[in-house]
Amino acid sequence: MANTDYAYRRLVNTLWPERVSRTEFDRMVYSHDFASLPKVALLQWRLYPDFVVLPQTTEEVASLVKLSDESGLPIVPRGGGTGWYGGAVPVRGGVLIDMRKMSHVRSFDPATRTITVEAGMTWQDVAEYAEARGLTLPSLPTNAMASTVGGGINSDVVGYGSLRNGGLRQVVADLEVVLPDARVLHTAFAGDAGGAYADLTPFFFGAEGTLGVITAATLRLIAKPDLVKPLAYAFKDTPAAATFLGAMVDAGFQPYHAALLDREHFVFERALRAGSPEPADMVLVTLAGAKDDVADQEKALDALAPKLAAAKRPPQEAEDLWAHRFMMYSARRLSRGLVVANNVVPLSRLGEACRLSRELIRKMKLNGAVHAFPMDTASAILAPYVLMDDTTPSGGTALGYVKKLGDAAFELGGHPMGLGLFMVFNLRRMHGRAAPYTAYVKSVFDPGKKINPGKTIEVWTKYQFPGLRAIPPPAMRVGLDVAAALRRIKPTPDKFVRAYERGKEAD
Amino acid sequence: MGLLRDWNYIEAATEIPALSEMIREALIHALFVRNDRVLPREIIADLTRTPAVTVKIKDDADLRKLVQVLNGSESTMSLGLDAEDYNYFRTQLGVGKDREIGLTVRPHALLTYDWLVPEQRGVQVDFSGYEGMQFPAKGQTALAQVGLPWKRLYDEALAKGHLLPAVPTVPLDFTVGDAVWGDAPLASYDAEFDAYVNAVRTISAFGHRTRVGFEEAANNGTGYDVLHGTLPLASEFYVPLEVGLRLAPKPAAQKTLTYTYDDGAKLSASFDKLARTGQRFPWVHVADAAAAAVLRPGILADPFTVQVALAGTATGLPLREKALDAALAGYKVKSAEVPDPFGVPAAEYAKAAKRAERGLFVGEVRLPAASAGDLAARLKGLGQQVAAKVGFYASLRASGTLSAFPFFDHPKDRTHIYDLSKGVARLVEKIPGAVFVSRLAHLWNEEPAYLARMRLLREIKLAFDSPHVLEPLVRP
Repeated sequence: MANTDYAYRRLVNTLWPERVSRTEFDRMVYSHDFASLPKVALLQWRLYPDFVVLPQTTEEVASLVKLSDESGLPIVPRGGGTGWYGGAVPVRGGVLIDMRKMSHVRSFDPATRTITVEAGMTWQDVAEYAEARGLTLPSLPTNAMASTVGGGINSDVVGYGSLRNGGLRQVVADLEVVLPDARVLHTAFAGDAGGAYADLTPFFFGAEGTLGVITAATLRLIAKPDLVKPLAYAFKDTPAAATFLGAMVDAGFQPYHAALLDREHFVFERALRAGSPEPADMVLVTLAGAKDDVADQEKALDALAPKLAAAKRPPQEAEDLWAHRFMMYSARRLSRGLVVANNVVPLSRLGEACRLSRELIRKMKLNGAVHAFPMDTASAILAPYVLMDDTTPSGGTALGYVKKLGDAAFELGGHPMGLGLFMVFNLRRMHGRAAPYTAYVKSVFDPGKKINPGKTIEVWTKYQFPGLRAIPPPAMRVGLDVAAALRRIKPTPDKFVRAYERGKEAD
Repeated sequence: MGLLRDWNYIEAATEIPALSEMIREALIHALFVRNDRVLPREIIADLTRTPAVTVKIKDDADLRKLVQVLNGSESTMSLGLDAEDYNYFRTQLGVGKDREIGLTVRPHALLTYDWLVPEQRGVQVDFSGYEGMQFPAKGQTALAQVGLPWKRLYDEALAKGHLLPAVPTVPLDFTVGDAVWGDAPLASYDAEFDAYVNAVRTISAFGHRTRVGFEEAANNGTGYDVLHGTLPLASEFYVPLEVGLRLAPKPAAQKTLTYTYDDGAKLSASFDKLARTGQRFPWVHVADAAAAAVLRPGILADPFTVQVALAGTATGLPLREKALDAALAGYKVKSAEVPDPFGVPAAEYAKAAKRAERGLFVGEVRLPAASAGDLAARLKGLGQQVAAKVGFYASLRASGTLSAFPFFDHPKDRTHIYDLSKGVARLVEKIPGAVFVSRLAHLWNEEPAYLARMRLLREIKLAFDSPHVLEPLVRP
């Protein structure tokens, strides 16, 4: 490996000094993603990158990838940093490529209804650009405000609109990727060939930046609906709300989006924002389409709701919830951190999944809320979140919740979402005998393990000594099981809302 | 479907000094029509070999054993054959000789044509008796064995309160497996067939039962999407046995509306408008007069017949119909009397399939919906040139793409198939935004980006199939 001063000079020659950083502060900022990480993690991994770089063109990204052959430093691509499981943090330092300077629209074609954007553009910016021109994205990640196009694809996220229009996989027509050998590859045929002509795009969904650096994406757009109308219904408990979601899909409704938000979510919201809705187990249904059609669907939903003892909430409340849809995790302000446990479960078992989520929150003495939504006619996203304070000794143990809920998702016929750095132990359980296929794919694209190494299919440590280079995935599992057990023996439950309100009164 | 093998064969053949001087296309032509005046005798021998043994699969344990014998981890004794069959099997395959023995799956119904390079005296697997299906008590999913006829799955799903969203654009008697490893054009208005596949139960090249994907839920966020990355060429990566499908609920109310057009320009404008409305339908199909005559013989068809499946609530259906009428303005006649081609009894569907399969199909033309009329006119011109009746079936996608399958009333010999494929490829080049998709078109394509992707796919196949059992790659 070349020395870091030499690598720095080469990087500066490639990108100019203003787009290369090695300051302690910048490196610290890029040493974690959205998840709060206990400091003890630094014993295992070198989470601080050696350099943070901000390329502006595909050619610059290719130069950086080529440079890594010379410097021996691994490359870690990063979008908005909205991931939860360490997919965008280094394990052995290296060059962290922040893609957010590549945030331009390359082309927009209203005739074919496609748009080609750079990978660092946020989903919301793409949607706004398209909407200003009469079109829209068929679906958007739940964290569209910060999630970048490349990041969303790498995390294989699901979000608003997927129930009606299909998920992001249906949205992406082609990707421009810088491969580990610095070649620039288009993953699909330039036109709509329906997956023919060797479409490699699916391999990049969920790749977590380990196969190459996505630099641009061609996205499909649809006509902007005449009307988008949110409706809110309150239920007696969470399982009833989950039953409503299932019944709605089984009855043939395919609204733009439908989500369950449990009572606790609104308790947190109330503590932070006085105007937020009265706490209740709620379902937010958003209809989109022609005015007549939306009106007819609303009528039919209103007829279905009383059968499940649901009460319709005032329109302003629904509008308010829809307006705040991208700010799901403001409860983070109540504590010092927050952990989301993203899972995919069969829609037919969503009620059971919600009940288990709540039960685990109670048993582990956590403060948390349940959020879930159907992603298609058969699957649902179960994404409860729990609050944590990693400055207290018990804080990090909240991560045990993610592990335990993931186990429950497997039991229900689903799976946790995301592998990144911390959840790799789930790979074998997810895929069984097909797990080695993922390693085969990695070995074909990146035989030298240069791009975002030590993640998704294996867990490296910062050490390079034999025996210490990698953590056996079961060891990670045991670690989180211990965290969950410690949580259970904690004598008192977390009470972040009360603490926050006491703090507010004191102010 | 053997595409990687065909492609690899062409790539390797162009390295042979005697053949490397031929231009790629001339070589493909010679290989496709088995031209023994141009090609060496050894290559003709390669192309005329047939699988030595066909094994009918009834149980996945049989297939596991077979794969394990072929990959060398078990001896032929494990197959449990009687002495006579045992001797036949070993002699036919040449077991004990120093060469690999491959396994290939046999499509039940092929829309277009067989692969270029057949299995080299290996084993062909016939799944025609492997036709079970399961519907869980709750949820919109199904598990279908690959030998299950598509129509039976469709009917059974409806009876159980579901709708199989993907239907064939050309109504042949396809099995579920044909959509996974063959060329069955199953799709809905919203998406291609792949989008409805949640998982595939397979036997790996090592002879293990391996599930790719999740049967009850989507596989998002579980690492690389190996399932959808390999699905179009599934049988070259693993042997698919059962397919986990995502279904839709049976709509509360549904209706099939038929609109006829006498002018291609009007049809194009209507389709373009329809795809821009954002409305959702289970499927939207169009047949020209020749195709409509095949589907409904005895009825004098207008130049274009559009059928739209409409689904929704009982009260919402009239509203949707009104919006549809407005989008399709320009039609000549509208009718609600023509039956849904997929809702008819199985025997009637089979009859239509028999009539449809007589046509010589060359592949798929994908083009902007606004060019539908242009395609029809150009196909008519090609028909006149080759003195053959020509027609097409097509389905519209929400993205505004029309997926059309031209057919010719011509004998299905390889020379005709090649020439007509070339003819269609040439006319497609003249339609902006159109692309011709077929096995031959894949082989003709020399775009560097495509070649780079194929090389990566080949590497992935070789990694999945390191024992070289699943449609192994062949060199001339």
